[in-house]
Amino acid sequence: MSYDANLNFVFWSPTRVVFGENTALDVAIEAENLKCKKVLIVTDRDLIKNTDIPEKIRKALGNLCVGVFSDVEPDSGIHIVNQGAKFGAGRGADCLVSVGGGSAIDTAKGMAILIKEGGRLQDYLGFQVLTRPQTPHIVIPTTAGTGSEVTYLAVIKDHQEGRKLLFGDYHILPNVAILDPKMTEELPPKLTAATGMDAMCHAIEALHSLQREPIADGLALHAVRLIKEFLPKAVENGKDIMARGQMLIAANIAGSAFSNAQVGLVHALAHSVGAIFGVHHGLANSILLPACLRHNADACGEIYLNVLSALRVNVEIQPHQAGDIVADKITEFTKKLGLPQRLRDVGVPEGGLKECSELALSDGAIVYNPKSISDAAEVLKVYQEAW
Amino acid sequence: MAFSFPSIEWVDEFKKQINLSEDYKKAGATWTAGPVVLVISAKPEIGLNEDVGIWLDLHQGVCRDAKIVAVAEAQKAPFCITGDYARWKQVVKKELEPVKGMMQGKLRLRGDLPTIVRHVKAAQELVECTTRIDTKFLGE
Repeated sequence: MSYDANLNFVFWSPTRVVFGENTALDVAIEAENLKCKKVLIVTDRDLIKNTDIPEKIRKALGNLCVGVFSDVEPDSGIHIVNQGAKFGAGRGADCLVSVGGGSAIDTAKGMAILIKEGGRLQDYLGFQVLTRPQTPHIVIPTTAGTGSEVTYLAVIKDHQEGRKLLFGDYHILPNVAILDPKMTEELPPKLTAATGMDAMCHAIEALHSLQREPIADGLALHAVRLIKEFLPKAVENGKDIMARGQMLIAANIAGSAFSNAQVGLVHALAHSVGAIFGVHHGLANSILLPACLRHNADACGEIYLNVLSALRVNVEIQPHQAGDIVADKITEFTKKLGLPQRLRDVGVPEGGLKECSELALSDGAIVYNPKSISDAAEVLKVYQEAW
Repeated sequence: MAFSFPSIEWVDEFKKQINLSEDYKKAGATWTAGPVVLVISAKPEIGLNEDVGIWLDLHQGVCRDAKIVAVAEAQKAPFCITGDYARWKQVVKKELEPVKGMMQGKLRLRGDLPTIVRHVKAAQELVECTTRIDTKFLGE
């Protein structure tokens, strides 16, 4: 891969990553390593209702656990973060253990700020606003996709205003990520596939981002290889611990890649259909990826040749042809995973695409797309292709 | 004549350059989100003894007011971008793109990033305006 002669970047990935079957049960050791004595578990209602995972973590923490905050919902809101922080502060929590997917992890990132700094979450809206380390945070992901356990971003919805707020700060990067394949084995096939494709999009978008750089590229390319090989296995047999583990690693390194290199058009468009029509983030990414690859194709030939190589596609082609072929291969891959292929299949009306196009232009990710896009009509064309 | 950065004279010149720029007028035409303050963190070694805020009252492609403010006043603005002197110097010299700088932790933004992103072209034009000022940097 070639880079500009004036390449300059910052790569920052300080989270301690612990991997292995049943490593989640070592959570108390990790908390003690952080010198913490009062741990609050942050998890979501579904996980509490449908699995014994939060209870296992509570037992593993023993006397260190001062409570379980389980009011997290999909698209977590600032009111939930505020409630959770109040609950945690009331229990004297000095450490958070988030157990769940992106919503639980991002809620805990917000709570970590409020428990340390006080005030309202809205007071910390912005980028790199914090000036000191926040409440220690250990993450135990129960999905393999978001990568939020190693990113400096949190997306929290302001339900009153009806918009998603973006918090970006190195001080909210979790201290520890425990990747335990046993924690993901109950994830249903459809969610496994959709979250796995979220990770695939993180990897590919990090590769074509304007802020791409060699360290993130290395991580992202390996993530693509792992996802290609192990996502179908994890979807086919959720109890395949080897596949589950490799997918956790793939999501983790893709997360680290995009936390540094950023993402682009796919995410900007997916965030907007998510905000307006509630489409699952991984699913929206999966559907939009081929159309965005075709849009970017003429600017990313060499990059997409590398993606093809990571996907183990051996064809003799010119760089300008690579985007279309990657798009075809991704479509083939997601069809095999049983995922919906069009936005119309997931409840997005054609008449709603214009509103999505306007909103996508305000998304932070769009700045990093390899082809500059600043016109809603251009965005609309990409949406229409995916509709 | 070179203007010292930051100074009242530099800020006045910045306002003048913004309002002379047709490109900024076009790119910032939809900005109605309120003032933006650029805060330069104190660096006593070069004579900057306290934080300095450059308050820009931007509205629909026009800079209605530009002034130096104390940091307490700066915090009242809906958008406050803070950085070290060396980082602002890089911005003024077009060596650091501000949005990229925020993402990388080189500049700190208090405010709504999507609003800034929607006006990224306007932000770039503001930087262009600074390059038209004959600037003398502290410590040089």
